[in-house]
Amino acid sequence: MKLYRILTVTERVLHQLWHDRRVLVFMLLLPAIAMILFGYSFSGDITGVRAAFIDEDNTDLTASILENLQADDAFRVTVLAPGNDPERLLLKEGYQAVIRIPDKFTSLYYAHFAMGVATTAQGTIDLTVDESDPLIASTVSMGLADAIMDLGEGGPINIETRELYGVEVRFIDSFAPAIMGLVVALISTVLTLLSIVREKVDGTFSRVWVSPVRRSEFILGYVLAFGLIALVQSLVVLSIGKLVFDIVINGSIVWAFVSVILFAVGSVGLGTLLSALAQTESQAIVFFPLVVLPSVLLSGMMWPIQAIPAVLRPLSYVVPLTYSNRLLRAVMVKGLAPWEEPVGFAGVLVFVVLTIVLASLVLRQSAQEAG
Amino acid sequence: MADATFEGQSLVKTFGELHAVDGITVAVRRGEIYGLVGPSGAGKTTLIRMLCGLTTPTSGEARLLGHLMPKERRAVESQFGYMPQERAVYRDLSVAENLLFFGRIYGMTRRDVARRTRELLTLMHLADRMKQRADRLSGGEKQRLSLACTLVHEPDALLLDEPTIGLDPALRIEFWEHFRGLSDAGRTLLVSTHYVHEAERCGRVGLVQRGRLAAEGAPADLKAWATSASGTATSDMEDVFLVLTRNGTGGSR
Repeated sequence: MKLYRILTVTERVLHQLWHDRRVLVFMLLLPAIAMILFGYSFSGDITGVRAAFIDEDNTDLTASILENLQADDAFRVTVLAPGNDPERLLLKEGYQAVIRIPDKFTSLYYAHFAMGVATTAQGTIDLTVDESDPLIASTVSMGLADAIMDLGEGGPINIETRELYGVEVRFIDSFAPAIMGLVVALISTVLTLLSIVREKVDGTFSRVWVSPVRRSEFILGYVLAFGLIALVQSLVVLSIGKLVFDIVINGSIVWAFVSVILFAVGSVGLGTLLSALAQTESQAIVFFPLVVLPSVLLSGMMWPIQAIPAVLRPLSYVVPLTYSNRLLRAVMVKGLAPWEEPVGFAGVLVFVVLTIVLASLVLRQSAQEAG
Repeated sequence: MADATFEGQSLVKTFGELHAVDGITVAVRRGEIYGLVGPSGAGKTTLIRMLCGLTTPTSGEARLLGHLMPKERRAVESQFGYMPQERAVYRDLSVAENLLFFGRIYGMTRRDVARRTRELLTLMHLADRMKQRADRLSGGEKQRLSLACTLVHEPDALLLDEPTIGLDPALRIEFWEHFRGLSDAGRTLLVSTHYVHEAERCGRVGLVQRGRLAAEGAPADLKAWATSASGTATSDMEDVFLVLTRNGTGGSR
């Protein structure tokens, strides 16, 4: 074994990397991006949960509870008039928790205080919470308990939590829709990207381009193939979820598949777009973390978006999986139709239209450069 | 030229400072084999890509079967076949699957593709490789598959970019015999090569050097001009190329 031969190989590899500036820049940027994303994403507490506060009792005591809730960063409290239906507020108005203090709450509270164990009467607060994200649900429960503790009176208050979806939603139940979206995004984006770059490298792209195949047909061909793959992948995730983990599926499976396929279409568009930035397969491979890291860390898949620090939160809203998560959780856990989760549905639709239109434009450019 | 299959009029293509093609005028008649001969980087590929509509000329006009390229490419897209310099086959598909794909995108029925596949694979000596994945073929076999993919939809006009590159001499001869057969069947071929001796096998030849057409004519005419330019009998095509591109005394007939 000769050192100079080892060093010669090392030198050659470094030269190759030096010549491929895109890979080089990415190699330096990637650890920085990963460290910032992981560092920030893991360190955040959940803040800004949208909570509606309905006070039917209107006393100093209930005002103190409201004050304590408003002082807690975990909540963004909106006071609503009595008579609002908590279920409608959660499913249609975008609230994540509804705290309702019923009439006579204060008198029951003090009655118990005065009579002690002689009476079973005690103040009760109704809590209805969106359990499609269990971390949000537990934050709300803990935040409300803290707000009551902070009253300093020490009296017993019963928090009656209503199960919005009829069953207790566990982490795995809200995780399964996210896994479906993630798997589809990864496979569709990465395989489309690799496949188109390979077409450019091998010259098949030039052949296809001079044939009667139109750009739209080319993209739709990919879309159909990956739509089918997405369907099969979703079936696998759902089957294992149901059979092994007994996940909750409150909604329509058909809508879940429609949503996933829609997301797969956008992911094919994204893969095609990224292919315009890569001339070789090794350049394409460096894009993988660019798709994976934000999807896993910023989409609300592992922890709610409210747990992501405010400085990074705007990035969450440019990550397509954020919208797919909202949509799939709404469809599978909440049992809504896609359009009843307008933000998620619109986000996925915009993702699809934008990426497919842009993909079509970049394909023209790629064809000019190919071969 | 009225009956020209491929026609370039003062074609220029620049990439930044580089003049890849610098004012080439060329016309390839129906049924002939026209050879574009010149070293690597002379501008042959760019010229071919302009003629088939893959690259837009910086200036000048490219026409294929009378249609302006790339603007009117759709009108003639089924009538020509293009073989890129890379082998341009799907490595992870079998030989038959490659031909099926390239036949079907030209609107051929599965039955027609199956018939053409049998014909072409017999012609290319690949009949026993039909189910083999393309990435498991030898270099020469891949090149033959690439030619078969170009021919599968039976185009009238063929643009073949360095089809014999990397082939052993015996296989090169075989390829040129295929080209002769296609020409005899009435097809027009524009073939680029940097093997200067292959010019002998063409009906007419354009010698390309630094983006320009240094000389053009039948091989016998080129030899005669080279002989008169150099003052000594010049019959070897390499010498002919050197004399005509060095002196810039080439003509055109």
